[in-house]
Amino acid sequence: MTLMIDHVKKQFGKHKAVDGVSLTVEKGSMFGMLGANGAGKTTTFRMILGLLDPTEGSVTWEGSPLSYKRTNLIGYLPEERGLYPKLTVEEQLLYLMRLKGMKKKEIIKSMREWLARFSVEEYENKKIEELSKGNQQKIQFIASVLHQPELLILDEPFSGLDPVNTDMLKDAVQDLQAAGTTIVFSSHQMRNVEELCEDLIMLKRGRAVLQGNLRDIKRSYGTKNVVIHSDHDLQFLESIQGVTNLEQTADGVTVQIKKEKVAEDLFYAIAEEGFVRKFEVEEPSLHDIFVDHAGGDTNE
Amino acid sequence: MNNFWITVMHTASKRMQSKAFIWSTVITMLIIIGIINANNIMSAFSNNEQSGESPSTVAVVDNTTNDDTIAEMLASYEEGTFDYQNYTEGNQAEALEAVKDGEFDFVLTLKGETTNLEVEFFGSSTDYTVGQEVKQDVQRIKESVVTNQLDLNEEEIAKIYLPISFSEQPLTENGEVQTEETHMQAYWMVYGLVFVIYLIVISLGSMIATEVATEKSSRVMELIVSSVNPIVQMFGKLVGIGIVGLINLAALVVAGIIGFMISDDNILQSILGEAIDVSLLLYAFVFIMLGYFVYGGMAAMLGALVSRAEEVNQAIQPLIFLAMIAFFISIFGLNTPDSTLVQVLSYIPFFTPQLLFLRIGMGNVPTWEIILVIGILIVSAILINILAARIYKGGVLMYGKFSFKNGIKQAFTMSKKEN
Repeated sequence: MTLMIDHVKKQFGKHKAVDGVSLTVEKGSMFGMLGANGAGKTTTFRMILGLLDPTEGSVTWEGSPLSYKRTNLIGYLPEERGLYPKLTVEEQLLYLMRLKGMKKKEIIKSMREWLARFSVEEYENKKIEELSKGNQQKIQFIASVLHQPELLILDEPFSGLDPVNTDMLKDAVQDLQAAGTTIVFSSHQMRNVEELCEDLIMLKRGRAVLQGNLRDIKRSYGTKNVVIHSDHDLQFLESIQGVTNLEQTADGVTVQIKKEKVAEDLFYAIAEEGFVRKFEVEEPSLHDIFVDHAGGDTNE
Repeated sequence: MNNFWITVMHTASKRMQSKAFIWSTVITMLIIIGIINANNIMSAFSNNEQSGESPSTVAVVDNTTNDDTIAEMLASYEEGTFDYQNYTEGNQAEALEAVKDGEFDFVLTLKGETTNLEVEFFGSSTDYTVGQEVKQDVQRIKESVVTNQLDLNEEEIAKIYLPISFSEQPLTENGEVQTEETHMQAYWMVYGLVFVIYLIVISLGSMIATEVATEKSSRVMELIVSSVNPIVQMFGKLVGIGIVGLINLAALVVAGIIGFMISDDNILQSILGEAIDVSLLLYAFVFIMLGYFVYGGMAAMLGALVSRAEEVNQAIQPLIFLAMIAFFISIFGLNTPDSTLVQVLSYIPFFTPQLLFLRIGMGNVPTWEIILVIGILIVSAILINILAARIYKGGVLMYGKFSFKNGIKQAFTMSKKEN
């Protein structure tokens, strides 16, 4: 009852877009896919959807590959948003959902529910080109979930949304997961991934550089930050073994260390100097981990 | 309803609801009705203007050896459209002056003997038929003068002009004889169909390509192909646009019929009523359908190769050139349907619909050859569409600058079947 990606490779000519990725997404879980631009996220999604054939390996959903016979089970929000600009919201959703095998009555009924949820009921008969970008994105999202898919693939669902709409969408995604939908999504915004995902994979040039449970990843990630607030000059800490970086802040310094053991050495060294207002060992943020692995470039 | 028909319905209804489609259909219908009635409309105008006017006048300057006989006979000649007047007041130069003053419209000078008449006509610069008619009139007068001189009686004259009995039979038992009527009918039908195929290729072909490119450029394509197999989608589009084309064609036929009914033109009505060759119409239908799939498949493929609607014209240019070449060959071929060039070219699928129809309509093509060539056309239509579907499948996910060679290569890698 899972999505299984087994040693999948995809090669376009000489270029390896995806190079031996394996992952398992449990039914009903939320899975995050991270990676800089061109890391192979969209290609992986397209292989899950059956739009591209893997060069090697296999992608299966509940034991068999996803073909056009089962597309009704999948919802997809592409990274490049697109709807028919000249059609109204209703015409649009009617066509797209009919392709997913829904009846007109059902479509209209659940379309109204979703439009109400996103407080855009008044746009039912408006053309897409007349809507603002944020509202177009809501319609695009509705188009990917209206048919109650078992597997929902969201490629950068939050990009280009304001904070209010991001929260609205996040709530919707969490509700869908609570209702049993399996969700795979990619994002550049690490905060969203940290909030939503239990498991994740980080891709770089088609390969997985990091994979597993979010908490485990953070815990096993050696590098940590030590935040120190003090009036003393703490520049000398840089010379302690195991310190990789030292950054001056308004209240003191933030020191990046290789492993937790180094924090002890730091503590004793500072204690000799005198009083400190704050000494805290922080878990690394996903952002730091991402930057470290992906080599910068976290934003589009 | 499965996804194929949903796509067909969506494509067709979206097109037919567009204002551009409705108006262009209505306007073409009006134009067709107008063209068919062009004669009536023009004569309605010219009748009002010219009915009161006298016919064109011709000043006849007779310099022949036998004293104005011909000029006088011309002056009393009532059958022609011209009013001949014996100009005795002066010579040719003065007659020409008189034309300038508006007294006459044209000048005719006669010289030499009656049997060896030399005629000079100063006529119209805009209408070549005027000179021909004048020539006929003079010839007729000359004949009657000469027969008079030879002292032949009416019986003898009648014997000379008595028509022979001429009957044409086919060479083979089941052959057909081409009469002027069947020739002209086939001529116009072939001309019409060749033109229709040309129009279909240009308008529907670019419609298909634009449709595909628009879906690509609005990026809705990726969403669609995640629900529908791109190949199903492509054929859904082809059939959907085809239905639009058929409805359009039907509208034009209706316009034609309405036009004929209004025009009340007996000749046209009799051609339409009696002489229409049903088998030729059936061939026309078959060739329009097959031609549509050959060119439509290509257009869908080309549309899938571009990323923006603006690039469509550039992409389908080669296809339009092909259609134009076929069109011009057919127009030239109308007079030489049995030439080797037309025969050979009619085997090429892109030219078959026009050229084979032309050969069937205008000449004699053995049945085996018709079956063979249509067979080739069907097979190549299928092959072209398989290839097009393959490129389409890869092309719809492809974005970038348009280039034929790279585009097709890239589309093949994208749609590569693995394992």
